[in-house]
Amino acid sequence: MTNDVGLDARLKRIEEIVASLDSDTLDLDEALALFEEGVAHLGHARQMLSRTELRVEELIGSEGDTGDMRVADDGGEGEAGDG
Amino acid sequence: MTDHVPDLFTDGVPSRGGVDRPAETDRPPPPRVWTVRQVNRASRLLLEESLPRLWVGGEVTNFRRQRSGHCYFTLKDEAAQLRCVMFRREASRLPADPGEGMKLRVFGGLTLYEARGVFQLIVSKLETEREGGMWKLAFDRLRARLDAEGLTDPGRKRRLPAFPATVGIVTSPTGAALRDIVAVIARRAPWLRVLVRGTRVQGVGAGDEIAAAVSALAEVRGVDVIIVARGGGSIEDLWGFNEEAVARAVALSPVPVVSGVGHETDVTICDLVADLRAATPSAAAETVAPDRQWVGKRLDGLSRRLGRGLAGQVRSRRWWLDQLGDSLFRRGRRRVQASRDRMDAAGLRMAAAARSRIRREAGRLSEAAAALDALSPLSTLARGYSVPLDHDGRLLRRAEDFPRGRGFRLRVVDGYVPCAVTGRPLSAAIRAAEQTTGDDRDQ
Repeated sequence: MTNDVGLDARLKRIEEIVASLDSDTLDLDEALALFEEGVAHLGHARQMLSRTELRVEELIGSEGDTGDMRVADDGGEGEAGDG
Repeated sequence: MTDHVPDLFTDGVPSRGGVDRPAETDRPPPPRVWTVRQVNRASRLLLEESLPRLWVGGEVTNFRRQRSGHCYFTLKDEAAQLRCVMFRREASRLPADPGEGMKLRVFGGLTLYEARGVFQLIVSKLETEREGGMWKLAFDRLRARLDAEGLTDPGRKRRLPAFPATVGIVTSPTGAALRDIVAVIARRAPWLRVLVRGTRVQGVGAGDEIAAAVSALAEVRGVDVIIVARGGGSIEDLWGFNEEAVARAVALSPVPVVSGVGHETDVTICDLVADLRAATPSAAAETVAPDRQWVGKRLDGLSRRLGRGLAGQVRSRRWWLDQLGDSLFRRGRRRVQASRDRMDAAGLRMAAAARSRIRREAGRLSEAAAALDALSPLSTLARGYSVPLDHDGRLLRRAEDFPRGRGFRLRVVDGYVPCAVTGRPLSAAIRAAEQTTGDDRDQ
């Protein structure tokens, strides 16, 4: 699995690995390989978690095109505006 | 169109100001004849000018919405009927058509429809006396229909993804709701991708826009969950979220939809059909974005479990070895034990054999002792025999061992008796010899 794998898929894979290590009788080599794969996923997941900037995009038109969107973090209009 | 009045009636027709012409003859003046139009016009003006706009209460009957958008109905009570019209502009704001027999109060002005001479009320506001009004009525009707179709069924609700990658948002691009949502996601899960489809969120047509936005986001690959949101407002402001188009789009969305419309107390059709209803836009964001710290803890937990899993694999091997060792040991011990048991058994057998042998030997011994006893001189002595012994203890057995004058001891059963030979001993041989001689001599 590469870097653009989602957190969900990574966590699921780690769960699988843990389950396998917990219950199956594996070759020691196999067990080590699984362990290393799990550790790599954990590393990527932690890296993902350390991101600080939220990416906000806007869906434009009907072709699924997107563009970056700036959302003001405070504004003149409150809830009384257009919501 | 100008007034066309037949000649016959030209005389006596009141002028527009209603000022009478002076009579030209002494014939009685012909009656003043009004045109229908004049009458209706005059009546209309009279009605409109003399009665203010007012609220009228009654029961509705024959409510019809024309293709033009105008609505016609009759308001009645036990004694009277009043024809009413609600023109398109006002009627389009009506969330629902009133049902037959429903008690209404309407606000409007009385007038006369000149073309048909019909007296009617031009209605600008229409309210029901039911609690919640027409909005509630529309809401309840749509809800009943959606309920019947099963679209609000709790069993239809899908679980939200625990770890979404992309979150779609349908809301006003400039509203506070979007700012609130973005702030929550940025705080909790900044690794998420947020994809916004901006829409109008109130006013006529807002419902269709919201519905289209939900469908558009649902089409985008990678969108895991959609938030439909709007800040608080009046029931009229929120009406777009109560429209059927929104309900259908939300129900048809292939990904779960979270509704965060208005405040805690506002419940919309969108809320009911959505997979999850959040009280506010911020709350909607919280249900969708996993908390960073929580995810971190989860990763820590997985990390520990991973380590334990591997250790377990190693341990299970060691355990297996231990088991193997144990079983070998047990087997070995069993063999030793078997030998020992065999030895013990042999020992026991030997001891038994020895004991029986000893018993047997002892028996023989006592037999021998008895035999020995029988052979003992003491028992012979006890029977009355005695044994002569010289002073050295030698047994004296033959007659020649007893020369005249010899001292000796006689062993008897209970002691010794000193003795001496006083005569000439006579052995059997001597006696025999003497007998032979005697015989010879006697012969």
